[in-house]
Amino acid sequence: MRDTIRLHWTDNDLLGGLASGSDAALTQLYNRHFPMVLHLILSNNGSEDDAKDIFQEALVVLYEHVQAGTFVLNAQLKTYLYSVSRRLWLKQLARKGRYSTLGPDDLMESDALVAVDNDLIEHERRDSQFDHMATSLGKIGEPCRTLLEDFYIRHLSMQDITEKFGYTNADNAKTQKYKCLMRLKRLFFSDYQE
Amino acid sequence: MDEEKKIADALENYGRRVVFKEKIERVQASVDMEAMREQAQLLALEGITPVRSIGRVRQLWQTYRPTFAVAAAVAIVTTFATLFMVRYYRNSNQQQEQYSMLRRDVQAIKKSQNRILDGLSVRRKSLITVNPGQIVGSSFLLTPDGYLVTNNHIVQGADSVYVQSQSGEVFKARVVYTNRGYDLAILNIADDSTFRPGKTVPYGFDPRPSDLGERVFTLGYPRDEIVYGEGYLSSGTGYRNDSTSYQVAISVNPGNSGGPLLDEKGNVIGIISGKQVSTEGASFAIKTDYLYRAIESIPNDSLKGQPLKLSRRSTLNRLPRTQQVKRVQQNVFMVKVFKH
Repeated sequence: MRDTIRLHWTDNDLLGGLASGSDAALTQLYNRHFPMVLHLILSNNGSEDDAKDIFQEALVVLYEHVQAGTFVLNAQLKTYLYSVSRRLWLKQLARKGRYSTLGPDDLMESDALVAVDNDLIEHERRDSQFDHMATSLGKIGEPCRTLLEDFYIRHLSMQDITEKFGYTNADNAKTQKYKCLMRLKRLFFSDYQE
Repeated sequence: MDEEKKIADALENYGRRVVFKEKIERVQASVDMEAMREQAQLLALEGITPVRSIGRVRQLWQTYRPTFAVAAAVAIVTTFATLFMVRYYRNSNQQQEQYSMLRRDVQAIKKSQNRILDGLSVRRKSLITVNPGQIVGSSFLLTPDGYLVTNNHIVQGADSVYVQSQSGEVFKARVVYTNRGYDLAILNIADDSTFRPGKTVPYGFDPRPSDLGERVFTLGYPRDEIVYGEGYLSSGTGYRNDSTSYQVAISVNPGNSGGPLLDEKGNVIGIISGKQVSTEGASFAIKTDYLYRAIESIPNDSLKGQPLKLSRRSTLNRLPRTQQVKRVQQNVFMVKVFKH
């Protein structure tokens, strides 16, 4: 952490770092922009934990957008993160029912915003897919769940998986993985329509 | 397999987010929350806006710019199309449909006649000479020595013009002068050797404006036989306030064009020119005053040196209408126009 602070990070550097999963870039994003979001949430009926959640979600929006390769930054990164956080917080307030006393324009309307509607719609879609996937994985049972997670998330090799699960050979493991994936597919698509 | 790919992608997205979230948690735990709080406090104290203002209007503009562009384009196209349609309607539609020139277009009738004949006998087809475009109107003598007046729209584009008297004599006519603005044409039949000049014309030409309600009558050739029509002067101006003509409540038909409009004393007060189709009983006649003006503007060469003098005195005064008609009808001719 010490050595990254010395560097000067531009917005594009940060985005690049984010895409490649650099911890330093994330730390930098926190240092630079979290106080702003914290201030936003605290001055609008929120707690510090709320601020953490919101900022985390905003970073997820940004990250997945950058990952998809469709992200075009047409304002300062700061503005973008602020706009997204603001919208997310408004939505959360609405969910909690506290929103009624607070019009969408009351939330620091003097602040500059960029249009993030499309990004957020996309985020919502990803969100529901994410939740759905979590449910599906919960339903699928062991050892399928661990097997799929090992392969697709922890990116273990087929060999490692074969050893870990005690299959006789890699082909067996592959067949097992395929069967698991099919089961997941059935669960996932049974009530999820994209 | 499509779904397989989809599920694998979804799983990978899921995994990526899980990993990313874990990472964030880690980073979050490592950051100095105390310092963050201080900075947030600072922001609150300063009350600064965290980022530069773009402004709501500009944001709206950026969001809806394509919509604006489309709407503007549609508006422009609509405006011009409407203007064009209105102009088009005014120029062509109204004049053609509302104002009908009363020449008799024989071509259409001839064509259908020929079609019937063709149907009757295919062999005889070659023997039938098709008469090219033929138009029929009326005309009457200005002077006893063979000058006639009719409408310009009858003789325009003519290759040859013939006039036929009530008794059936046909004379070849020369177009001496045409005036498009007044819709008048002066013909001469003195060149035809069979024409015998008379002594006088029975009617006079009165250039003074006539009064509304004046009883008027006309003679013309809406059919091959001369037809008498009677009515009254209903307005001092013609179609669309045309000051060169009168509006007359008189029943006229195609073929009446070019016929004289006479008042009770036997003075020619106008020349029948057309009628308004959409309105009942609105016919139009060009004022005699403009006949005088047209005659004045005839070049001397066209008159071959002899001035065209109109009689102002009517000899029909106090005669009963039947006698008036009897004497006028000898001077009203049918105009036949041939075109190629």
